[in-house]
Amino acid sequence: MEIASYVFLIIGGLFFLLGGLGVLRMPDTFNRIQAGTKATTLGAFSTMIGVGFAAAASGNWDWISKVIIIIIFIVISNPVGSSAIAKATYNSKNIPDNLVQDDLKSRGESK
Amino acid sequence: MKNVFGFLISVALGIFIILALANTDAFPAFGDVDLTERISNAYLDINNVEQVGSANLVTAIVVGYRGFDTLGEVTVLFISALGVAFIFGGVKQKRLDLDFKPNFMLRVGSNILFGIILVTSFYIILHGHLTPGGGFPGGAIIASAVLLLYLADDRFRSNVKGFKVLEGVAGSIFVVIGLLGLVFATAFLENFLPAGTVGNLISAGIIPVIYVLIGLKVGSEIAGIVDNFLTEEESA
Repeated sequence: MEIASYVFLIIGGLFFLLGGLGVLRMPDTFNRIQAGTKATTLGAFSTMIGVGFAAAASGNWDWISKVIIIIIFIVISNPVGSSAIAKATYNSKNIPDNLVQDDLKSRGESK
Repeated sequence: MKNVFGFLISVALGIFIILALANTDAFPAFGDVDLTERISNAYLDINNVEQVGSANLVTAIVVGYRGFDTLGEVTVLFISALGVAFIFGGVKQKRLDLDFKPNFMLRVGSNILFGIILVTSFYIILHGHLTPGGGFPGGAIIASAVLLLYLADDRFRSNVKGFKVLEGVAGSIFVVIGLLGLVFATAFLENFLPAGTVGNLISAGIIPVIYVLIGLKVGSEIAGIVDNFLTEEESA
């Protein structure tokens, strides 16, 4: 149980690192948003599972339920928040030049 | 001219306060206070902690020893909510239009998050006598959930009447519990329920009951303020 928690914590930390790298290295806003969101969602996910397992290994089984609630919160709030940021970016006309396909424009939903 | 006048007044007031507080017996010099004589030392006494039964010492002081102050604090919040309602309120209200149209994902996602935020706030309120938190932060979290729905859902309108009823009922029960303390014990807001074991969820007598009431009252008050700020009078 303890080893599993360490594995999850290391995976989580690795994904946080990749997410941070992505935010620094990606060329435009949309790419940065997706790097920051996807990587940190999984990172927070596995970090939380690791914390829950670590607490369970020392006998605190009730942490698991709290961790599950936190995970549900992160899994919903992170993509929703980043989609709102992406929409705001789109509405502020801060669109990169190399955009190939613009579904919102072709469907006539752009502001 | 106005600014210079205000500056002079505040400087004069500051000098006056410093002079009034210096060299009096009520305010001893910094470092001269003997903390063992102060009442806060009695709050930290292990026997008193076991008598109150609250694991969170801050809650023991705020609701246990100084429940009357907390009643005043809740009243202050009530009066400020009343002032906001007096200025912004009206008979027929409609909500403000948002500059942007929230997309489907934002609307549905926030509605799901609303439930989770409410669960968190009730957890914080219920565990106010065990962990950091309590009625005031928990109530603020309830109001923030309402604010989230206002911003993320362009059709949302909170149930203002329900909030008002909830606020009034919670405040009244708070006072009734205080009066029950006068009946079953000796003083207003005195603990008349058994203290139980320190650290259990059901312990500390009336403290969790009062904190639940405070949480509901604060939550509905601040939600009412949020509603007042985000609505406008319907133009006839």
